[in-house]
Amino acid sequence: MDQNLKHSFVKQLEEHQNVVHKICRLYTRNQDAHNDLFQEITIQLWKAYPKFRGDAKFSTWMYRVALNTAITLYRKSKKGVATQEFEGVSFKIASEKYDDTIEEQLKLMYAAVKDLNDIDKALVFLYLEDKSYREISETMGISEVNARVKMNRIKEKLRKILNP
Amino acid sequence: MDQLELLKKQWQAREQELPKLSFDDIYPMILKKSSSVVKWILIASVIEIAIWIGLNFLIPESSKTINQGMGLSRAFTLVNVIHYTIFAGFIYLFYRNYQAINSTDTLKELMRKILKTRRTVRYFVYYNIGTSVLTLFAVNIYYYFNKEQLYGLLKATFPEGYAEVDLASFTSVFFISQIIVGILFIGFIALIYYLVYGLMLRRLKRNYVELKKMEV
Repeated sequence: MDQNLKHSFVKQLEEHQNVVHKICRLYTRNQDAHNDLFQEITIQLWKAYPKFRGDAKFSTWMYRVALNTAITLYRKSKKGVATQEFEGVSFKIASEKYDDTIEEQLKLMYAAVKDLNDIDKALVFLYLEDKSYREISETMGISEVNARVKMNRIKEKLRKILNP
Repeated sequence: MDQLELLKKQWQAREQELPKLSFDDIYPMILKKSSSVVKWILIASVIEIAIWIGLNFLIPESSKTINQGMGLSRAFTLVNVIHYTIFAGFIYLFYRNYQAINSTDTLKELMRKILKTRRTVRYFVYYNIGTSVLTLFAVNIYYYFNKEQLYGLLKATFPEGYAEVDLASFTSVFFISQIIVGILFIGFIALIYYLVYGLMLRRLKRNYVELKKMEV
């Protein structure tokens, strides 16, 4: 395949890799699985790349393929199941004086989001990424109203988990 | 403030904690082979189709001779022509469904298409199990009504095996063993199929149901 195409693809993915890492963190429970999923998402993105015409932003297009891969296409490998979980994402910002209770709450919230089912997690992820309900509905294939209603329900559910 | 809003506020600010892969880390990844569920579905489906087509060639010569002797060869030729035409139709449908799977579809559309691809193969297996049962019954009923002819024919074909057996015990042994073997065979296929299908698509199905629930 065209060398230039490969080059421009890898360049763009390198630039926007954060999106993929965030999805990998949410959908896997250890580093091995994270790397595995990252690899599979990269392959799927590359396979779909020739059809990417730049009518959407590269990053917008990525969300769809990456979430599709994490939720539907990726076959969870048995590799490294039962190993330790991520150390919990550190939410500390070194230079700032930080309130430990807030830090604790963030960790709990992140853990609660990680425990949601695959579909709810995708919705919350897009919400955290500050996507509009229109974009969320277009990525998931449900109506905007349904996305909004569902998101409100998930918020309520998370609130109950964290403030019993 | 609400905890989710808090997390959202911090979400973008903390990207520096994510791993950073270089161009040279990513480049080799695009050369690797995918191990996606679609690929496994394709492999499993091709194997299933191949097994059913293969089974048709495994019918022993002796059983063909007997069918011929019983005057069934014309009926079998007709059944086979219909059978293989339907096979071809299924393979075409399966291929078309498989081709339609696209990682850039919406999540729901992607799931629907994968399940549809699998469903086509499932119907193919049902069709095969169904026609096997039907053929088994039809042939045995025909044999039963022509059992003297069958008995004579088997005696002529396998002189050492059937010479000692009288017609009455031949009838019961022959038909009972036909039914038992038939049931075992079909049960075995159904079990394997259930295992393969269930294991591969459990997560996908669960997620699809979850997504469908949002629509009501």
